[in-house]
Amino acid sequence: MVMKYRCMRLLPILASLVLIAMPVRAEEINLFAAASMRDTVDALCDAFAEINPAATFQKNYGASGILAKQIENGAPADVYISANTKWMDYLKGKKMVNAASIAVIAYNELVFVGMPELQVSDLKDIVTLERIAIGSPMSVPAGQYAMEALKKSGIDQQLHNRLVMARDVRECLMYAEMGEVEGAFVYMTDAKQMAKKTRVFFVVPQELYSRVTYPVALTASGCAKSSAAAFLDYLRTPAAQKIFALFGFTDK
Amino acid sequence: MFAFGPSDYSAIFVSVKVAVVATLISLPLAFTVAYCMTFKRFKGMLVLDVLVNLPLTLPPVVIGYLLLMLLGQNGWIGTWLLQPLGIRIIFTWKAAVIATMVVGFPLMVRAIRTNMEAIDRRLVDASRLLGAGCLDSIFTIIVPLCFRGLIAGSLLMFARGLGEFGATIIVAGNIPGVTQTIPLAIYDYVSSPNREVMAMALCCVSITISVVVLIVHEWLGKRMGRRA
Repeated sequence: MVMKYRCMRLLPILASLVLIAMPVRAEEINLFAAASMRDTVDALCDAFAEINPAATFQKNYGASGILAKQIENGAPADVYISANTKWMDYLKGKKMVNAASIAVIAYNELVFVGMPELQVSDLKDIVTLERIAIGSPMSVPAGQYAMEALKKSGIDQQLHNRLVMARDVRECLMYAEMGEVEGAFVYMTDAKQMAKKTRVFFVVPQELYSRVTYPVALTASGCAKSSAAAFLDYLRTPAAQKIFALFGFTDK
Repeated sequence: MFAFGPSDYSAIFVSVKVAVVATLISLPLAFTVAYCMTFKRFKGMLVLDVLVNLPLTLPPVVIGYLLLMLLGQNGWIGTWLLQPLGIRIIFTWKAAVIATMVVGFPLMVRAIRTNMEAIDRRLVDASRLLGAGCLDSIFTIIVPLCFRGLIAGSLLMFARGLGEFGATIIVAGNIPGVTQTIPLAIYDYVSSPNREVMAMALCCVSITISVVVLIVHEWLGKRMGRRA
């Protein structure tokens, strides 16, 4: 009992100690970015933190659709980078992002990768493959672009039952790298950055799908943080564009 | 309000198919294991006990990953046995069956064992003394006396199989129409904005099947309890 009372008396002291010990928090930017941007955004954040030492980042990577859904459901995001305009427009429609802050920061290309020994040189050849990984078109932009291309070239029905739906584009590439699928639709940047065992068979012709566009925006909470707005501005500087180019993204 | 497409119907069908096949294949295996653990004394009992129950405590994702390491194109069994024979398991519905079997196995063994341990040993001994062979005694004494455990174990495993997600998504992938089960389809819908209605509809299907299984479980339990 004595012990208990002593603890009770200590409680306010402990509580105040905890409060004092809390550091003056540097402004933390909650960043929600498309999975294909992972390494690029990591590099961008590091470069930004060098200029603004006070800024720290909390990063969340995933399929753009999954992120959009999380933001819609109240996830703490300040900056959102999508791999297509669809999910950005979706959040704009829901008034979850600041429409005035939306800006396109990079472009990408869709490619088809697979095991080097296969004989595949264009989209028509892939109907001979047994398993093909694509991002789930419901939430993964890379899958939406791929599905668009398959539909436009009229082979989507032939591939029915052979498409493995991945949770994001990086998982697609992983499936191909492990050899569990013969081929996968990924971005040129993913193939350049991460492909070790697979090779790029062909670039999907641009006329078959809408351009892979990366828009960025501030959310309502992001608008209140000056460092988040500064980060957005930074993304459009030549220094940042150089980093995008380094990882294989194009700016036009 | 919502309309199920072909891929939704196939998700329901695949779920039921995988759970049924996994249960049927596991039944004799689980019975054998339960029998050994109840009636036999041998070295390594503890090891077997831990191995059988391990999937109960392991995260299903770990199970999925281990299965992938084993059965994958570059896995241990995959490279040496499956590839030369031209058998493909990963990303087929067979992989979903294997994942379900591993995950549900401890539940089934437990249910059968509980029932088996309640069997009066003297009945088994008597049958042997009266001249019944080992197998004869198993099929005429033990199987009928732990029938309830067999049913309960099967239903538990079936129900667990319907809900299997973690291991399945890793080894069977998410192929609509082939390996996409109800949980995987729900996951797809849930991770996409503006598909909540479909997710909810499939959740309802899932709940309905589970409720039916539980009712059957209770009903069978009561009916057999009365008879015993």
